[in-house]
Formats: sequence, structure tokens, C-alpha cells
Amino acid sequence: MSVQPMPETVTRKFGKAAYRPLTQAELEKIAPTRDERLFLVLSIFIGVLSGLLVVSFRIAIEWIKILTLGSAPHAGQFRLLIVPAVAGLFVAALVHLFFPAARGSGVNQTKAALYIYNGYISFKTVIGKFITAALAIGCGHSLGPEDPSLQIGAGVASMVARRLNLSRQRLRLFAPIGAAAGLAAAFNAPISAILFVIEEVIGQWSAAVLGSIVLSAISSVVVARWFWGSEPLFRIPTVTMRDPRELIAYAILGVAGGFAALVFSKALGYLRPQLRALPQWTYYFQSGIAGLLVGMIGFLGFPQVMGPGYEVMDQAMHGQFAWKVLLALALLKILATTLSFSSGTPGGMFAPTMFIGAMLGASVGSFEKLFFPHLTGTVGAYALVGIGVLFAGFLRAPLTSVFMVLEVSGNYSIVLPVILANMIGYLISRALQPVPIFEVFTHQDGLELPSMEEAREESELHLEDALRPVDVPVIKGQQTIAEAAQIAAAENASAFLVSLRDGSWYAMTAHELTSAGPTSTPDTAIERILPAERTPILFPDMPLDSTLHHFPRWPVLPIMNRASKGKLEGIVTQDDVLQCYQKH
Amino acid sequence: MAVLQLRTGLTPEERQLRQKLILRDTAALMSLFAIAILLFFITLFLFHSFSVHRQELAQRWLQRGEKALQSNQPLAAIDALRSALAYAPDDEKLQIELAEALAAAGRTEEAVAYFNTLLESRPGNGMINLQLARLAAKEGEEAAALDYYQAALDGTWEGDGYIRRREVRLELAQYLIDRLHFDRARNQLLIAAGNAPDDVNIELQVAGMQEKAQDPANALHLYQKALQHRPARLEALEGASRAASAHNRFLLAKEYLERTLNHADFEKQPAEVQAQFRNMLSDADHILLLYPGPELSVRARAERILADRKIAQERLADCLISKSTVPPALQTLADQWRQLPSTLRLTQLEQDPELEETIMQLVYRTEQITSQQCGAPTGNDALLLKMSQAPEAIERQ
Repeated sequence: MSVQPMPETVTRKFGKAAYRPLTQAELEKIAPTRDERLFLVLSIFIGVLSGLLVVSFRIAIEWIKILTLGSAPHAGQFRLLIVPAVAGLFVAALVHLFFPAARGSGVNQTKAALYIYNGYISFKTVIGKFITAALAIGCGHSLGPEDPSLQIGAGVASMVARRLNLSRQRLRLFAPIGAAAGLAAAFNAPISAILFVIEEVIGQWSAAVLGSIVLSAISSVVVARWFWGSEPLFRIPTVTMRDPRELIAYAILGVAGGFAALVFSKALGYLRPQLRALPQWTYYFQSGIAGLLVGMIGFLGFPQVMGPGYEVMDQAMHGQFAWKVLLALALLKILATTLSFSSGTPGGMFAPTMFIGAMLGASVGSFEKLFFPHLTGTVGAYALVGIGVLFAGFLRAPLTSVFMVLEVSGNYSIVLPVILANMIGYLISRALQPVPIFEVFTHQDGLELPSMEEAREESELHLEDALRPVDVPVIKGQQTIAEAAQIAAAENASAFLVSLRDGSWYAMTAHELTSAGPTSTPDTAIERILPAERTPILFPDMPLDSTLHHFPRWPVLPIMNRASKGKLEGIVTQDDVLQCYQKH
Repeated sequence: MAVLQLRTGLTPEERQLRQKLILRDTAALMSLFAIAILLFFITLFLFHSFSVHRQELAQRWLQRGEKALQSNQPLAAIDALRSALAYAPDDEKLQIELAEALAAAGRTEEAVAYFNTLLESRPGNGMINLQLARLAAKEGEEAAALDYYQAALDGTWEGDGYIRRREVRLELAQYLIDRLHFDRARNQLLIAAGNAPDDVNIELQVAGMQEKAQDPANALHLYQKALQHRPARLEALEGASRAASAHNRFLLAKEYLERTLNHADFEKQPAEVQAQFRNMLSDADHILLLYPGPELSVRARAERILADRKIAQERLADCLISKSTVPPALQTLADQWRQLPSTLRLTQLEQDPELEETIMQLVYRTEQITSQQCGAPTGNDALLLKMSQAPEAIERQ
């Protein structure tokens, strides 16, 4: 990864006069809420700019495709062999000489920008990604434009945020905002893009950034739809699910998708490091050779596997292929994408994943139509579910996979098949390939980025995990100091809890009790010697780490019942909390 | 925005810095806005040029596809139409043409799959149902074909639904005729004829099919309707002649046959067709000479009956001779003849219309049974056999 780290201070020109750059401390002082307010405004700008760039990016891909491969590539055309090979050589040279950060898909690069480089993505990277990915995809490499769009969006966000000299913390948050905008425009599906960024880029729901992500994603989709209309990727066919017996076929699709995802992951996991281990000079030729091999698949009869293949997905969804052809296309796409991606050619994995899923789903659907015509499921519905299955199984984004299918189909009657098939695909893929593909790539690249799958499933410890029964003396506030001392002495307790009339509690040490002696008599009620502060109100479902900062003040913390005020569920001490962490 | 902040306690230098910051932020946002506008117009230009080019490509590939289809090159048509669809995916005509090309190329499975998918999005579409009916017919799936034809008839058609439904009905009738389901074909043709406009071409087409569906009565009616158009078409006269003959209305047939032979275009017909109609006229003339019609004088009628009796008896005698063992049907027939007076005079017949009727019935029955027992008759026997099918219709106008 050759992304440059952000400089500590950014000196900029304003008009012709140079001015002194403001430090973050100065900004914090003279305009403490500036970042927060700019954040939302800039989110919209980022969305609009990302949307426009992504639309241009896709038009560039289409133009390049028409100009190089012709308006209707057919098997047997020699240009199918020559164009991807030559483009591969050219793109490889551009990547290695000018745009090294443009290599690969863009998802991991965006994550690296977020976690390693404080959200910094250079202008050069954005330009490089745009040019090299457009050339590679347009010339027939089996890659897609979504992941590059994600990186382009993140790059736009990074540039905009830097221009406004926002704080480092804000700057880091802009990368996922831009990523969501780029992906939303590419997918034309804002909810899926938002979910994907949350699932795969930031790994957690963060209220601080969610609003901005939504704003930018919607802005970019509005721009994209202004140009492409509501169905830019492919026409959504009629989606129905009337007969519950069809769930069996969808379950079979889930199994097939799970294994297809596994084969795809294994193939990429094997070939990519093999090619990267070759001498550096071979990098100049790898994309070219991959292009030649992909072109050969097209030349020999399957030009559909070249490029992102949206129109082929459209055709498959509308029943234009027989099931055997669809199956062959799915398998050949796995091969072609493995070759293109492993060679380091810039381009994304989303479109090929969708392609494979659509072909596999349509194949199962066509087979069902042919041999079980009484079932009512449409080929298009199977293709859509197939896309979801591969998303869940290969990209390991189960939530996105479900919502994406629902969002693009606009039909909730398909929710059952989607959830069933996606879950089966996800579980099979996960059981047989424990490390998700994006993590495999980061390890191959020598990076250590947080695992989003692990982050999603990390179980947070709660107070109930460290809770123990009340084994310290409990004294009423009205009881006297003498009585309290007697009880504490009888139980040999170093601390005890005082229950007060208003339902609040006070955790008192024996030392506090004895030190109260000079200012009061033994008959003085305990509540009269207590200071104004009370132990914090804690409940069993609260995070365990929320107690840690209370222990320097309180020896023991009472844990309340949420239903009845003042009733104790138990207590925790610092030792209890630490032991609980040690056990987990 | 910094400008919105109300903050006190700043030094004059800090206030100045804040003002500069506000100006800088405003300028930055304005520049972002300007960049967005500029990028918008660049994208718009690219998009517009790309859209126009896509439309051109769609049109170009559509023309190539249609040309290939017309020149019976379905494989080339499939490639071209698929390419056209990539640039105009919502074009319904293109989609149907592609499916037709798939079917024409023998890729029936793909064609059916494609049509089924099209049908899912437009379940009542008449054209898609019609195409599926044709594919089912081609695959020999009669029940499915009939269902799809019916769905096509009930389905929606754009603009010219009235005409297309008639065409579908006629296609269905033809399919039924080919499958020898004449009753069902006749029903469809009757509906088609009833709904058809007063157009001579349609009348001739439907009447021709009614002839094939063994419905000469309705065919004749339609031919007669067609003949009301002036000038009278030769096809209508020929059809009317055939239908009238088939319907045993030989007096009418004779009239049409004479008009046919006198028609200006008749001589342009192939020689065998001309010969066929001349023979038909000859047969009609002979039948009318054999037929003892009620319009004849009593004497003439009796003479014809006697002549017909003679022909029938000779036919029976020849048939009996040819059989070593006399079949019961022939034996019964011979017995019936024997029950009649062996010699009959004209005056006897003239005075006994009932006997006339009995003799003629026996003549007809003789021709029918001997044709079954001793093979197809020739000459006058053949004509009497024709007459026997509906003697009451022979002189009906």
C-alpha cells in the first residue's frame, strides 16, 4: 500500500495571499462547532461529487468498451484476444509507474485509509483508479466498477475534508462517507451501500457518522438516478413466491452458492499470492497475460464473461439463456475474474460476484422451470436471490446481501427465499473458508486491518457477567453510626452499602465510618454524615467497562433492578470486573 | 458554519482569525459548488453523447437482426438482436423478435425460457402467448398449444388487437384442421367469420379454411358474400363452385362453374386447374340430367327415374357377380329390389309418386352400399353416389 500519510499541518493558499494555517487548537477555540456543522454540508457535496464522478466513470467504461471491443463483441473476433491483453500491459505499466495505489479492488485500500492513514487518499490515487480501472474493465477484464467507485468516493471525501482543514478525527470519518456515496451511486441502491460500508468498512454502527453516510449516499444516488434512471444496472424482473415448496429450490441455490463462493475464494486465495511472489518485472506482464486468457474465453464462445457483464445479468434475469449455458457462464466467470484480479489489474469484485450469483440463480431457476413447470418462481427471482447468496457467501456481508436483494427488487415477498438461501450460502462458505476474502487480501498485502466479521460478532461484556450476590452489609440510612459500626465489625466488612430513603445508595468504607467519629455522636444517623454524592446508578445490561472509572472512588458498586427503584440485583467490585475480563 | 457561532471572550486577533476562517470556508464551499456544477455539465455532455450513441447502436443492430431474420439466418439474427437489446433492453418488439429468432434457430428451449420470462412480466400479452403456442405446437404439445392459443385470443394486443385476434383465431383453426379436429376448427372459423369485416380477402381466406374443415355450407355462404363485391373475383367463383358441389347444390354449382369458366382470368389458371373445373361442370351437368327434380314434367321425371333405376340395378348386378359369397348388405339390397315390380312403365310411375320416391331411395342406397362393398364407382354410378349424399340439395339455389 503506497498511500501517503497525511501531513501534520496543511498549508494552503487563499487567493493570492498566503495566510497562516490554523492549528486544531486554534480552530477548537475560535469555532468549536465548525467541524460538526461542516460535516453535514460536506456530506452532501461529497455525495453529489461522488455521484457525478461515478456516472462519468461508468460512461467512460462503456465508451472504452464500444471503442475497443466493438458494440457487440462476439465469439471468434480476434479483437477479443488482442484488446484485453494490450490493455492489461498498458494498465500494468500505468499502475507500476504512476499509480501504485490504484492496484486491486479499492475496498481494502479504503479500509487502510481509514485505519492506517487517518482517512488520507491522494488525488493521484483517485485519478489513477479512475483511469486504470476504466481502461481495464472497458477493455474486457473480468472486473467490476463498484469497488473502484467506492474508493473514488472515499478519495473525493478525503480531498474535500482536507481542503476544509477539518480535524484529524473528522477527516478519518469522511472516508466511509465517501465510500458509501461512491458505492451507492455505482449500485444505485443507497441502503445496500450504507449497510455495506457499515458491515465491511467501519464494522460498527456509529451514530456519529451514520447521518452523514446516509446524506452522502442519498445525494449520490439522486445524482446517479438523474442520469441512469431507477434501474441502471439491470431491469428488475417480476419477483414472486407463491408456493412454499419452492423454498427447497432456494435452499439448493443456497448450497450451490455457498460452494461457488468457496471455489471463488479458494481460487483467488491461491492464485493471487502465487502471482505476487513472482519477480517484480513480471508485474508488467501479468495483467496482459490475464487479459489474453480472459479474451480467449470470450474468443472461444463466451464473450459474456468479459467486463462487468450487467447486460448479461439482465439477459439471464429475463430468461434469455438455457440453464446449461448459465452454469457454464458462472464457472467461466469465476475463472476469468480470478485471472484478472489476481494479476493486480485495477477493478472490483462486486460485479463479478453479482454475475456469478445471477448466473447460478438463473440456472437453478431455469432448471426448475424446465423440469418442474408447475412451480411458479420466476427465473429473475432466482437470479436475484443468487446475487444475494454470493454476496453473503463470498463477500461475507450477510446483512447487505439481504437488503440489497430487497432494495433492488422492491418486493418483500422474496424475503423468505433470500434469507434462507443467503444464510445457507453464508454458513457453508464460512464453515469451509473461515477467513473472509477481503481479510485474506489484507494478509496477503502484509496489512493488519480489523476483521469486520469478528468485530460484528464480538460479544461485549456486560455488568451481569461480573455480577455477584450482595455479600456486604446493607445498612439503612436511618440507622445510627454505632449500629453500622457494630454490623460492619460483626461481618468483618471493609465496606458496606447504605440504603437511603429516596432509593439511592451509598457505598461506604469502614475507614469513612471511623473518620466520621469526631464530628458526630454514635447516635447520629448514618445519612446525616454522608456527603451529597451517591453511588452511580448502574444496571445489569450496561457495558462492563462503564464501571471502571468509578472504582477509584467507590469500593463496591450496587447494581440496580430496572423495574423497581432501589432494589438491588447484586454488586460488583474492581476485582470482579478484572476477573471477568481475564476469563474472557 | 463558523459564521453562525455566537461566542464571546475572543481576543481581537482571534476574532480576526475567525472572520478569515469564515471567508475561507465560504470560499471553499463556493469552489466546491462551482466544481460540482462544472462536473455536472461535463457528465451531462458525456452522458448525452453516450445515450445518443446507444440509440444509434440499438437501431443499427435491430436492422441487422431483422435483415438476418428475413434472409433466414436465425443465428446471425440472434447475435444481432441480443446486441440491440443490450442497448435498448426495454424494447418489447426487440425482445419478441429475439425469442422468435431463437425459435427459428431451433433453440426451442432457450426460446421457451425467454418467452416464459417475458410472459411473467406481461402475463396477458397476446403476442407472447401466441409465440408460446407456436413453440408448443412445434414441440407436439397439443394441450399446451391450445391453452396458449386461447390465452393469446383472450390476451391484450397493442393497437391492432381486433386484427391480431382474428389472425390468431385463423392460425388456431388451421392448427385444429391439421390435427383433424374439424368440429373445433369449424367453431373457431364461424367466430372468425362472424367477427370479420366485409372484406373480400378475409372472406375468401376464411371460406377456404372452412372448406378444409369440411364445412362447405358455411364456406359457400362466405363465397357468396365475397361475390357480392364487384368485380367478382375468380377465387370467389372457384370457391363457390367447389363449395356448392361439395354441398351437393349442383344447380348452383353449375351456375358458378359457368361463371368461373367465363371469367376473364380463368384462362390464366394452370391447365390442370382449368381441367378440374371443366370436369366439375361436366359432372354437375350430368347430375342435373340424372336428377329427377320436382321442377321437371311428370314424364321427364319418370324417365329419369327409370334410367337411374337401370344404372343402379346394373351396378348391383355387377357387384353381386364379383362376389363369390354375397354379403348380407348386398343380399338385403337385392331383396329390396326384388320386392319392386320387375318391369315398370312410365305411366305407372307418373301415377305413383310414392313409388318414384321408393325407387330413388333404393337407387341411392344401392350406390352407397355397392361403393362400400365393391369399391368406388365410376361414370353415372359415381354421379348417383354424389347425388345420394343430399339429393334434396341438388337443385336448391
